[in-house]
Amino acid sequence: MALNVTGVDRETRESIREFLYLESLALDERRFRDWLEAFADDAHYEIPVRVTREKLSEWELSPTSRIFDDTKETLDVRVKRLETDFAWSEQPPSRTRHFITNIIVQPTEKADEYLALSSCLVYRSRGEEITPSLFSAQRRDLLRRDGDSWLIVHRWAALDQAVVNAHNMSIFI
Amino acid sequence: MTATGTSEGVQRMLADMREGVLQGRVPARIFNDQEIFDLERDKLFSTAWCFLAHESEIPKNGDYVVRYIANNSIIVVRDEHGNINANLNMCRHRGNMMCKSEMGNASHFRCSYHGWVYKNSGELIGVPYFKEGYEGQLDKKQWGMIKIRIDTYAGLIFGTLDPQAPSLDEYLGGFQFYLDIYLRQGAGGSEVHGPPDHWVAETDWKICAENFSGDGYHTPVAHQFGFHLGYFPSSGATHSEGWAVHIPDKGHGIGLGHTPGMPPFFGYPDELVEQMRGSLSAEQIEVFSKTRTAVGSVFPNLSFLIQPFSLVPGEPGVRFCTMRLWHPIGPGRMEMWSWCLVPKDASDEYKEAAYKAYTLTFGQAGTFEQDDFENWTRVTKAAGATAVRDVDFPYVMGLERPRLADFPGPGYAVSPYVTDTNFRNLWSTWLDYLTREA
Repeated sequence: MALNVTGVDRETRESIREFLYLESLALDERRFRDWLEAFADDAHYEIPVRVTREKLSEWELSPTSRIFDDTKETLDVRVKRLETDFAWSEQPPSRTRHFITNIIVQPTEKADEYLALSSCLVYRSRGEEITPSLFSAQRRDLLRRDGDSWLIVHRWAALDQAVVNAHNMSIFI
Repeated sequence: MTATGTSEGVQRMLADMREGVLQGRVPARIFNDQEIFDLERDKLFSTAWCFLAHESEIPKNGDYVVRYIANNSIIVVRDEHGNINANLNMCRHRGNMMCKSEMGNASHFRCSYHGWVYKNSGELIGVPYFKEGYEGQLDKKQWGMIKIRIDTYAGLIFGTLDPQAPSLDEYLGGFQFYLDIYLRQGAGGSEVHGPPDHWVAETDWKICAENFSGDGYHTPVAHQFGFHLGYFPSSGATHSEGWAVHIPDKGHGIGLGHTPGMPPFFGYPDELVEQMRGSLSAEQIEVFSKTRTAVGSVFPNLSFLIQPFSLVPGEPGVRFCTMRLWHPIGPGRMEMWSWCLVPKDASDEYKEAAYKAYTLTFGQAGTFEQDDFENWTRVTKAAGATAVRDVDFPYVMGLERPRLADFPGPGYAVSPYVTDTNFRNLWSTWLDYLTREA
């Protein structure tokens, strides 16, 4: 990709950035119902499995293996689960902080849809453990205009670690 | 410390455990202890048959994956003749690692240090400055990569570091009967859906192997949300129904949970059920057709789970199958490898549906998986505490339960499937390895 700045107007760009910050704040404040509202009904949420490969290999992110492969319906199941008293993996809950940076907004073929690339670092602390889990990822979000706000149509996130240094993934990226 | 490096305290604990297991007692200390870890590495993983890979991970000539037996890195590769080889991932010359990626395809491996070149079968064929440096005197046949003994069963590739180990067939000791529910899902058998998830956890591998050798007892509590959301095709009241079977003195065990009234082979497409009626024996059909949950472990560290599951609570589910490897990397610490197996002859739609069920339940972000590891890390932490050094855990469930006389499959079967019977066999087998004379 050449280093060309694409023709997305400042207002759209700022609006999308603000939306991504608000969305990550909802996650960090464990307002999972609010967070779910950020997704379109036809949304797809996926995190492929990364594999350590030689430089010239065809792929490094598995075309078939995924850590998350969710629709809005299955994300809703995950949230419903968190709302029960039996989601032991989040009892007590993880403390997370999503750092969303390097947001680049690009136009798509559809006038009301934009692609937002971002870097995402999630710090996750649990209980009295002094060693946090860190999830570093590149995100690609396809966003659809929804009145004054946006809806996530497709979230794709690629973790930078092939072997994840966390005993589970009970949080969202 | 004795000559073998094991303290008297640990030796005494293991000696006491011999009688203790029979009476239903297992010391907590075995789940998080440096000496126990060292013994496992030197006496268990150095002699047992350990799972390395599934054949469908290396379908083409030259395909390889890098796997482990304890701390030994091993290249599992299909050579140019289609034969499967396993070699230590180490150049014979100065010990450099040959493959630094976890999978790939190569006809040859070339060391990045001094450039020794091996065929993918492990044979040394290229030595730089062979004439000038070695005066052509190096016997290349002697200095190939170091071979690991392997054998296969229904697509599973196992390796052992012990040239004297019994055959894989003997090692499995009849457990093949039960493995077929995972490996013969239809006429073409099973294949991996893709590369495994893997992650690191502060958990002792044995807790996981035990859980998967038939711990139906934890399900209604650890995975209570599943019942709560209406997900689970069994209820708390009927959950204990079914069979638990183990192979005495081999350590392998399986739990076979039933749900009354569930149609035979529930959750498989009709054409696969048809195929299984041909690929399985009458005895296997009798056992498996009734089975809702099949959760089993091949000693020491390979496990499987088959279960019908729907993405949306209340809908009829599809069967997914997870295969998992519990790889010990330190006391109370492991690396987890988890695959989804799908029936090779199933439609792409079914394979995709089964894979989606797997990711939502038992993949790395799976809702059931999350809770298991949360519990297992806490168990491990507790087991490492000094006040827990001399504490035993009770393994008395089903101690007096009679062996079923007319069970159609091999091994020692009891009913219902909620029991510690399999685990007592697992721990006594584990103990046999750890207390063996060198």
